[in-house]
Amino acid sequence: MTAATATEVLVSSPVADLESDGLLGEFPEGPRLVGTTCDACGNTMIGTRIVCSDCVGTDVTRVALPTAGVLYTFTRLHVGAEGVRPLGYVDFDGDVRTLADLRETEDAPLMPGIRVALGVDGDAWWFAPEATDASIAPAATEATEASEEEK
Amino acid sequence: MSENVYVVSAAMVPFGKHRSSSYVGLAVPPLIDALRSAGVSKEDIDAVWVGHSYGGMMTGQRICKEIGLGTVPTVNVDNACSSGATAVHEAWEAISRGDIDVAVVIGVEKLTQFGGGTLPLSPEDREVKQGIVMPAVYAMRAMRYLHETEATPEDLALVSVKARKHGALNPFAQFRSEVTVDEVLAARPVADPLTLLMCCPTGDGASVVVLASEQARARLGVRGMRVAASILHSGQVAEGYRDMTAPEISKHSAHDAYEAAGIGPEDLDMIELHDAFSIAELVYYETFGLAERGRGIALIRDGRTTFGGDVVVNPSGGLLAKGHPVGASGVAQIAEAFWQLTGTAGDRQIEDARWAMTHVTGGGTAGLDHGACTIHLFEAA
Ligand SMILES: [Zn+2]
Repeated sequence: MTAATATEVLVSSPVADLESDGLLGEFPEGPRLVGTTCDACGNTMIGTRIVCSDCVGTDVTRVALPTAGVLYTFTRLHVGAEGVRPLGYVDFDGDVRTLADLRETEDAPLMPGIRVALGVDGDAWWFAPEATDASIAPAATEATEASEEEK
Repeated sequence: MSENVYVVSAAMVPFGKHRSSSYVGLAVPPLIDALRSAGVSKEDIDAVWVGHSYGGMMTGQRICKEIGLGTVPTVNVDNACSSGATAVHEAWEAISRGDIDVAVVIGVEKLTQFGGGTLPLSPEDREVKQGIVMPAVYAMRAMRYLHETEATPEDLALVSVKARKHGALNPFAQFRSEVTVDEVLAARPVADPLTLLMCCPTGDGASVVVLASEQARARLGVRGMRVAASILHSGQVAEGYRDMTAPEISKHSAHDAYEAAGIGPEDLDMIELHDAFSIAELVYYETFGLAERGRGIALIRDGRTTFGGDVVVNPSGGLLAKGHPVGASGVAQIAEAFWQLTGTAGDRQIEDARWAMTHVTGGGTAGLDHGACTIHLFEAA
């Protein structure tokens, strides 16, 4: 940040963050989770951000986050209107973590430490154990790089 | 700077579902009792701090006006579950600096106003928008802890069993009945691996403490307990990896508290810690230096944190059994320490208790372990 001179009055303006608070965004490569990378120090953060939480730089770039990561931990939530809801933290390369809805099957149950891949259907997105049952894997058009390689 | 500060009085209403009581109705009785038991008159009071998270505008003033306590500064404090303890910290700081002599601290919360369900979190938070609730946060901690250590769901249940055993001895506790490991494990699942009996209940309550300078304590002629450390930390964001089984905010707070008081974990006779969910107690054993990393389970398995053990953790029953009306909890923990260190804890008295720690965290906020953490250390006077 550059320091203002003693006589300069800075007029701060609010950010319309309520208009850009979804985590899923469109990118040339398809729908991806949105991250923000600091141009100055390279810190990458989940979501649309205006300032780097490390160096406080305000020159930041919207980036597509990877479509696969490691499931750090999870739970199956039994409270609420939606029945049993698996929820967990997914860690991406580049040291970014996001909370995410999860899907699992009997053949591919959730476990801390497993690799999980992004699935997208319209506005909905989730992570599921990587390269398992096609019914829970991302739709073909949104296939992850990893599952592409395996085909 | 750094005058000695004492807690000279404590009072609380039993925690529970007090559906017919407002914030005022909950807090005025312990306010009167705390003032009376220390012989403090309205004219003695220099300032009031009031911790609450859901009381709305001017909660403190609404309470204090009922006894005609005005004119002096009244400050409403919100730090989620740490609200009450943060209020104590602020009062301690003002007396410690020599600015004032006597402060009243009120912690109060009415959770039955929400009609059930999990604690309402800020709807502006990114993870709250995604559907996070506090049981899920602690459940994910528990799942990772079970993955990394030899702990089992039975260990999580043992924490609840101990809490309920202690709560059965405490007339201020919301739950006064004991439970078994089997009952805890068979209870309704809330968020795997946590069952309902591994989660603190929803309830209402209020607790009040009076803090005084050395001079004011002498004038009042009461014993009290000395505040040996009062530490408040805020969460630090991690955009990426965070070890959820080693909460850095509580670790740093404990480190600073031990240093300020010149004691270590081995000196403690009791701890009231933030066991909002049973996993938290195992993790905090390790965080506070009572056990090596991953070895907290040995303490609960061997009964070393109950009466007769090395250090009694949550003699009141803790949040799991005593209850957890958010803003009241931090003050109620200090009330428990006060009763223990002044030899007035009745059936749950710890013999010759000299050193006490109280610990509350606060808040589910994306990217933070917790938003706030308050740790106090007290020495019998
Ligand atoms: Zn930066």
